[in-house]
Amino acid sequence: MTQRISKSKRFYMMNPIIQFFKFIWLSIKIMLVVAGGHGGTRKANN
Amino acid sequence: MSKIVILGAGISGHVAAAHLRRKLSKEHEVLVISPNSNYQWIPSNIWVGIGRMKSEQILFPLAPIYRKKNIGYKQAKVTTFHPEGDIEVAKPFVKIEYVNDEKKGQTEKVTYDYLINATGPKLAFDMTEGLNPGTNKAYSVCTYTHAEHAWQALNDLIQEMKQGKKVKILIGTGHAKSTCQGAAFEYILNVEQELRRHNVRDKAEVVWIANEHQLGDFGMDGMLLSYGNNIMKSSEMVEMVFEDRGIKWIIGAGVNKIEDGIAHYETLDGEYHTETYDFAMLIPAFSGHGFKAFDKNNEDITEKLFKGFMLVDADYTPKPYEEWSVQDWPETYQNPSYKNIFAPGIAFAPPHAISKPRVSKNGTTISPAPPRTGMPSGITAKLVADNIIDIINGKKELHHKGSLGNMGAACIASAGYGMTKGSGVSITTYPIVPDYHKYPETQGRQLGKTFGEIGLAGHWLKLALHYAFIYKAKMKPFWWLIPE
Ligand SMILES: Cc1cc2nc3c(=O)[nH]c(=O)nc-3n(C[C@H](O)[C@H](O)[C@H](O)COP(=O)(O)OP(=O)(O)OC[C@H]3O[C@@H](n4cnc5c(N)ncnc54)[C@H](O)[C@@H]3O)c2cc1C
Repeated sequence: MTQRISKSKRFYMMNPIIQFFKFIWLSIKIMLVVAGGHGGTRKANN
Repeated sequence: MSKIVILGAGISGHVAAAHLRRKLSKEHEVLVISPNSNYQWIPSNIWVGIGRMKSEQILFPLAPIYRKKNIGYKQAKVTTFHPEGDIEVAKPFVKIEYVNDEKKGQTEKVTYDYLINATGPKLAFDMTEGLNPGTNKAYSVCTYTHAEHAWQALNDLIQEMKQGKKVKILIGTGHAKSTCQGAAFEYILNVEQELRRHNVRDKAEVVWIANEHQLGDFGMDGMLLSYGNNIMKSSEMVEMVFEDRGIKWIIGAGVNKIEDGIAHYETLDGEYHTETYDFAMLIPAFSGHGFKAFDKNNEDITEKLFKGFMLVDADYTPKPYEEWSVQDWPETYQNPSYKNIFAPGIAFAPPHAISKPRVSKNGTTISPAPPRTGMPSGITAKLVADNIIDIINGKKELHHKGSLGNMGAACIASAGYGMTKGSGVSITTYPIVPDYHKYPETQGRQLGKTFGEIGLAGHWLKLALHYAFIYKAKMKPFWWLIPE
């Protein structure tokens, strides 16, 4: 079953004030994934 | 003194050149060879293709910046590789052909101590009969000139729709093995939003066509992601968005021929179909550039350097999907035969796909090739630069590693342009190549680090990244603080 986007969800997605905080939260979260680093996979301690 | 030659000034070549120049003293030479005189921030081509940005906003000329930063630059394309030199030249070199006006057609042997091949993909339109941007009503947004043409055609169509014409718009992949579904996904959502902005949405049927067996595969075997308090498959997320926007879809489809307003395709169940359209944007197959390599006696050694794309430290042993592992993926992007040659970004040959390969009943492979997006392209370029600097400084081992199996990626897919009406589908994935041993319960990815978000904030973020990355690429003060 396809989940369509409800009215309240759409309000949440498009409300500039809520989305401003989401923007900050997203920026930090993405930064953490990116800055979380990277490495090899071939040694156990990588 | 060392000479580092970088082929290509796209995301990876430019990142490598910038970091090398910043970290190496002036006695070392950094030289970029690239045929396009401009740097382009490719992700924003989507907005050029809907007329919301001009090409000039997403590009800048390379020569003045390279001059200012003491980076050498030749507007030329590499034609052949000579990693052992030849009978005349003792040092390794690449043969280049100039493409700019004054020197057009002239060739030169450019020697190097270290070579970074960052030539990305060849946009292989020729692999699909009749697919050639701007002909047969089919367009591309892969370069800024393609995107400009796409917008001209789309705008003309919008004007006709305003006069009452009903149309069909087809967007997706133009070959059975295309990659870069993400870019097509962004474009279809942006086009759909623009149609609404122009009050002609009711005049258009908007159709997605892709070689993915499931929506949201993105050439990455799909993903399980956190979405708010829920856990959802990327297929469910994309389906939700398409349903919401009234976009129809055709999947498991390998487009094999384009005629004027007609796309011919084969599906995984072995059936042959056609889809008519008034405007199409189809991503072509990406292939290697078909470079040749020669040893010092001028014997062909192409297979030591290339398997389509450039060979690096990956495990290329052919094996079935069930035996694929993250360890197959390269870590240093160093060519195994010639240790002073590296290939970051899209230029390296992947060991295999990421998505499970699928073959139609007729034996045609209809399955996405592995994507290599901007972020990993930048990260792999920086680690190659750091390893070269280490070698120059006397280190014997390559300490900087970055496998796509141990690296996250953020894909902020634009879903519509506008400061208050825009939207973005933000998806982060960790790791890019699923590690089914480490994360067996969650489809090879770490939940929490693999998450999705939809909304206006995604558009702002994509726009912020546009300005940040152009600032970084222009090497303005403290540019290096902005991560890849
Ligand atoms: C429309 C579109 C939208 C995208 N959106 C996103 C996004 O939102 N986020 C994201 O992360 N990624 C995105 N991508 C993917 C991203 O653009 C690529 O991952 C990235 O450009 C790869 O960088 P690269 O340097 O390896 O290759 P490229 O950027 O393709 O650069 C290759 C360079 O090599 C040069 N070159 C070619 N042939 C030769 C030759 N013979 N000699 C010398 N130089 C040569 C080219 O001129 C170019 O400068 C998008 C891609 C497309 C097409």
